[in-house]
Amino acid sequence: MSTDWKEEVSKCSKCGKCHTVCPVFLETGDESMVSRGRISLAEALRDKQIVYTDKLRDYVYSCKKCMRCRTVCPSGVDYEVIISAMLRGVAENMGVPLLPRIIFRYILPRRILFDTMLKISSKIQRFIPMKKRGQMRHLPLLFMGKRWIPTLAKKSALKKLRETKKLKNPRMRVGLFTGCLINYIYVDIAEAVVDVLNRMNIEVVVPQGQLCCGTPSSSMGDYKSSKKLADLNREVFESHKLDAIVTACATCTKTIKMDYLRTLGPSWQPMSDKIYDISEFIEKYCGDEYEANPVKEKVTYHDPCHLLWVRGISDEPRNVLKKSSNYVEMDQAGACCGGGGIFTIIHYDLTLKMLERKVASIERSGANTVATNCPGCVMQIADGFAGKNSKVKTTHSIQILQKALVNGGIDKGDEK
Amino acid sequence: MKLFGKTKTEDSKHQRVLRELIKAVGREKVLSAIEDRICYSYDGTKQKALPDIVVRPGGTSDVSNTLKIANKYEIPIYARGAGTGLTGGAVPLMGGIVFDLKSMNRIIEICPEDFVATVEPGVVTKDLQDEIAKFDLFYPPDPSSAAFSTIGGNVAECAGGITGLKYGVTRDYILALEIVLPDGSVINTGRKTLRSVTGYDLTRLFIGSEGTLGVFTKITVKLIPKPKKIETLAAYFSDRDDAIDAADLIIDNNILPRTLEFMDKMTINAVRSYTGTDIGEDVKALLLIDIDGTEESISHEMPVVENACKENKAFSTKVAETAKEREAIWAARRSISPALYNIAPHKINEDICVPRSKIKEILQKVDQINEHQTIYIANFGHIGDGNIHVNIMYNDDPGQAELAESIVNKVMREVVAVEGTISGEHGIGNKKSQFMELEISPKELAIMKRFKSFFDPKGIMNPGKMFLS
Repeated sequence: MSTDWKEEVSKCSKCGKCHTVCPVFLETGDESMVSRGRISLAEALRDKQIVYTDKLRDYVYSCKKCMRCRTVCPSGVDYEVIISAMLRGVAENMGVPLLPRIIFRYILPRRILFDTMLKISSKIQRFIPMKKRGQMRHLPLLFMGKRWIPTLAKKSALKKLRETKKLKNPRMRVGLFTGCLINYIYVDIAEAVVDVLNRMNIEVVVPQGQLCCGTPSSSMGDYKSSKKLADLNREVFESHKLDAIVTACATCTKTIKMDYLRTLGPSWQPMSDKIYDISEFIEKYCGDEYEANPVKEKVTYHDPCHLLWVRGISDEPRNVLKKSSNYVEMDQAGACCGGGGIFTIIHYDLTLKMLERKVASIERSGANTVATNCPGCVMQIADGFAGKNSKVKTTHSIQILQKALVNGGIDKGDEK
Repeated sequence: MKLFGKTKTEDSKHQRVLRELIKAVGREKVLSAIEDRICYSYDGTKQKALPDIVVRPGGTSDVSNTLKIANKYEIPIYARGAGTGLTGGAVPLMGGIVFDLKSMNRIIEICPEDFVATVEPGVVTKDLQDEIAKFDLFYPPDPSSAAFSTIGGNVAECAGGITGLKYGVTRDYILALEIVLPDGSVINTGRKTLRSVTGYDLTRLFIGSEGTLGVFTKITVKLIPKPKKIETLAAYFSDRDDAIDAADLIIDNNILPRTLEFMDKMTINAVRSYTGTDIGEDVKALLLIDIDGTEESISHEMPVVENACKENKAFSTKVAETAKEREAIWAARRSISPALYNIAPHKINEDICVPRSKIKEILQKVDQINEHQTIYIANFGHIGDGNIHVNIMYNDDPGQAELAESIVNKVMREVVAVEGTISGEHGIGNKKSQFMELEISPKELAIMKRFKSFFDPKGIMNPGKMFLS
């Protein structure tokens, strides 16, 4: 791995094409906040010209790891190899801050502990006023000041969906990888996945014991923790006989389908091949299986970076939405919403600028609901609308499909 | 000249300059950390040289104040747009101060009724094109870096691009400039009128001056009506000369295509193996032709173009009418750059330009020069202008880099011998300054140097570029 990135940086021809797509550079115009700049910094690290400093860490953390740059790079640089090495370098040379370290190393790998911690928080949050359209200001434990973030669910998705609903002659048997945001906050997304697939005669198992995919720790360079999580998740999913694994989180899909190939090695390939984004799965296996009665609401779709730019998936969620709603396209649907982990904490001002643009695009489209395929984007965009008292709803595309299948697609709440 | 010297006096000079700069333009616009300096040390040539300070000016007065300080202390100074140049124009070879002009990126005004727009130098060319398209207007110069290079950089290098045959190059669209001279004084050249012949044409002197005379702070460009429609044709040939003859015949028929791009066998092979496109093995040359205008004019011109290709033994032609079909055809052209790296890891991309009647001759010369060599040369480019990109691809084996350089040297001599030019659109920078004397006679060179020393007596503007000494 360490030799890899050192060779990879030499491939960069310094043409500057990454300028055209980097959401951070488009806001700042800072050469230090675009792949070409960071690759030069990696080169300087390799050549022992510089060492890790606070400034360098901020430049490394300014990367959203959306991988747009890799898609357009004329020289074929695998930027992910480089940024991962730099994140690891930051962690190894400057350490991971104490609180995240405790969470990554000791809490994330232990489901019961994680559950307990969050349960305590969910109790505490009930005493905090200022609830607003299901969002609340400042959730303890998740270190995000000033943000509208949703309340924790009383019962996690894993617990709620512990029992597999048995079908008589299921066409397929798939496993659901929930991911943390869906497990603890957007439980209804998980329920929608199970409900929709069940309606298509597919049995859904929610393997107990599954853990965080490892993105939070790897995005702070703590690959040791990520590896541990990957090993444990592998054990859990390999112990079930599954035809496929679906997720409703773009980032989890990227991590367990793509990153695990690096973390766990090529032996993960057969499992990786079976992992699908939920819309991708439905289009591939259920495209002709259902007839939805489209909901009346005007729905638009936001492309999560990790689905569009890492996996090239854009048609599938749109096709599902076109069948299940009054679909309209927004301009700049592929532009980043600004959400995503450590970036939103270190570069909060940039996060807000990107969010403002996204909210404006959605409003221009005239849609009253924005759907996407990532709970992280749901959280971010909902934050943008909550802040301005808008009536636009933010949801996951699978929930639109669920609505279109339930009640023949007539959603009474939306008819007024 | 390096500011970060070992001696105490130089060290304190650096501190003094830094203090004065911070006082003059504000702390947040002056970067001196090693991490920032590294990010402004390179351009599209992959050359590297560390600047001592990076200044991100907010407007003309910041540029002027910085230049006054640089001039006082005789510190080298380099104007940098997006750092995408291909001849080293923005590389701070001698240390000193780099201006990051990306920070000056406002479109100041668009006057649709006057057909002009005024912008700051850091505006990305495509952003300007998109903005004026809203008024149904068009700024034609279209270098392949248009989506990421800046208008300031385009003017400094006099960038060309694929629309040159019909619409000309950057120079043909610049009406007026606001320029800060090395002593910090501000001059305005040209007028915001579509024509002006008052006095010497200082504007043109500064276009293509590669940052060696002054720094642009405002640029007024000429606009034209946006063509209503574009249609694309791809024509496949089994012989290179046939493609060149076809291009000639198209122009002989009094048709100026919006673009007339050529790819040779080596380029096509690289693209084929890179993208897996369905270009057949028997295709040894191809032309990519865009015709623009009205529905009517295109329906008249496209058959003429297609016939010209067929008359010259094009064994297949393909017309694309929808945006999607056009995109599919153009994808091959766009993938050339990455595809070439599959041939070999290193590339010298020359941008020679010859009279159109000499294209066949120069390509034959290039073949001869490389006859018994182990190096691959891929030729493609703007054949209507005679501007051919000769790409010399070489690997890491010992002696290969030297061999590539010697081929470049020979090619340049042949180009000048057929009355061509060593640079059609990339500029000279430091990469090609050694060839200046091939094309420019001592007397003209002396005149150029007198201009240089008139505007920049202390030699602080982009030292090491354009001239060998």
